[in-house]
Amino acid sequence: MNTKNRLSIVIGSGGVLCAASLGLNKALHREGLTPGMAVGCSGGSIYAASIALGIDPAQIEDQTLTLFTSDVFEGYTSNLKSALTGETRFTELSSLIDDKIMYERLKAVFGDKTFDDTIFPLHIVATDLYTGERVVISSGKILDAVRASVAIPMIFSPWKIGDQLLVDGAVCDPLPIDVAIQQGSDVIAAVGFEMPTRKRMNSYTAVTTHFNGIYMNNILKSTFAFYNIAHHAEIIPILPEFEKPIGTFDTAQIPFIIAQGEKAAEAQIPYIKKLMSNGGLK
Amino acid sequence: MPNKKKKIALVIGAGSVKCAAALGLWKVLQEAGIPFDMLVGCSGGSLYATGMAMGFSLEESVEKTKALWNQSVTEKRNWRGLASAILPGIFKFDDNFSMISDAPMLKRLRMVYDDKTFADTKTPLYLIATDLYTGEAIALHEGSLVDAIRASIAIPMIWPAWTVNGRRLVDGGAANPLPVDVAIREGADIILAMGFQSPFPSKIRSVSRYALHINSLITNNLYQANFAFHTAAHHAEIISILPDFDRPIKLFDTDQIPYVIEQGEKAMRAQLDYLKRLLEL
Repeated sequence: MNTKNRLSIVIGSGGVLCAASLGLNKALHREGLTPGMAVGCSGGSIYAASIALGIDPAQIEDQTLTLFTSDVFEGYTSNLKSALTGETRFTELSSLIDDKIMYERLKAVFGDKTFDDTIFPLHIVATDLYTGERVVISSGKILDAVRASVAIPMIFSPWKIGDQLLVDGAVCDPLPIDVAIQQGSDVIAAVGFEMPTRKRMNSYTAVTTHFNGIYMNNILKSTFAFYNIAHHAEIIPILPEFEKPIGTFDTAQIPFIIAQGEKAAEAQIPYIKKLMSNGGLK
Repeated sequence: MPNKKKKIALVIGAGSVKCAAALGLWKVLQEAGIPFDMLVGCSGGSLYATGMAMGFSLEESVEKTKALWNQSVTEKRNWRGLASAILPGIFKFDDNFSMISDAPMLKRLRMVYDDKTFADTKTPLYLIATDLYTGEAIALHEGSLVDAIRASIAIPMIWPAWTVNGRRLVDGGAANPLPVDVAIREGADIILAMGFQSPFPSKIRSVSRYALHINSLITNNLYQANFAFHTAAHHAEIISILPDFDRPIKLFDTDQIPYVIEQGEKAMRAQLDYLKRLLEL
């Protein structure tokens, strides 16, 4: 058995909340627990990739602060209007936001790095736009994989890799524990988030994001329930607590989010250590 | 050991017109003399579950669905809703938003079920809707049938949410497209689970088609994740009845109903021996 793969970190979708995984990473490092694999989905793919590339945690934190600022979402309202009135044609290749700024920022972080440049195996999850099936990306340019994985339907255009048109991994598998299991991990630290839902629905966007949130939260619960009962691996949920609601792109909260992630991880460290010294489940 | 009578439930999942396949399943069980102890319906499945629970005959059920569920229920666009999406400041945008007006559908539902309640059903009936705000699955088991069906089939964005007992409810498919858990909770020993994958629009030519496409993808993934859990947990014997369709059946392809019923019948026949064995018949 390849013991290097045993401990993995899985970072689910959750926009800016995914930064909590940096707290987990900190806590693991302090204890000398090196993960053997990282799996990321949607916003989580940015952190999984950064951690797997061995980028300094402080630098990842800085990058995130500048990654999703409000100018990334420019043009949304007017594009939505013209799409709803039929003024502009909307196809599966369309989007309500031009991805230029986001793409440039991701490029500044990941450049031409490929999956071969990581210090341990990295897997990024996206969704096939036509079939809805899960697509696991484990080779090629990291920039392409992350761009595909964060392609929130309708908001950002899908991303083509090979012959496949890909969108947000959260559409099929918001917390891809299954990928870590398939890749041979038997101790999985899973950082998952429920999407924020709305209390008031005062715009078309509020309604669409609210519904997507409801669906994805229900998929998250079902998948998590399934892997707990099937028990192919020991799954340790790292569920940071946030006393206040945090918007998907509320970057000002990042230091707080990381601290909460670290706290949640610390509570699980003794158990992870015990599992790792026991020789695991197998 | 005395053979305690096993409770049989039929669960009809979300699937619009495809849910008519439940009638084919029902036909096979009627011939075999096996009655249901409980019916559970979600979204389109709630139309058929209710008809069966009311004791409608097979022919009546077909007639009533054709009257209830056809293109005409979508003929009235909700212009106000559309305007509110474009100019939320002028036309008040709230959680009543929809693309299509629900008036024609409500009128038809009332024609069939009038003021009937769950107390009028011959077989215990549970209809599943989703809490609009929390996303929880809600099993409706009392009160007006029209209200419960209307809530259960409120496809997000297409039709507005519906209020039942002060709760805003939408399509049960948003929480649980094949709600076998309700049958388990209500004490079923054997569950006939008829579930469907949602179809995709053939071409994405507008924002609303795109929304519908993504909605189908997510619903299918939710359906698979949920079903995997209940099969692994195995709190009850779950027999999947999965009709096989050789053609795409869309939201309002009611002319395909006879074919759909036939496929449901075939799928049930394939599982009949197994069901009889479980029942020790």
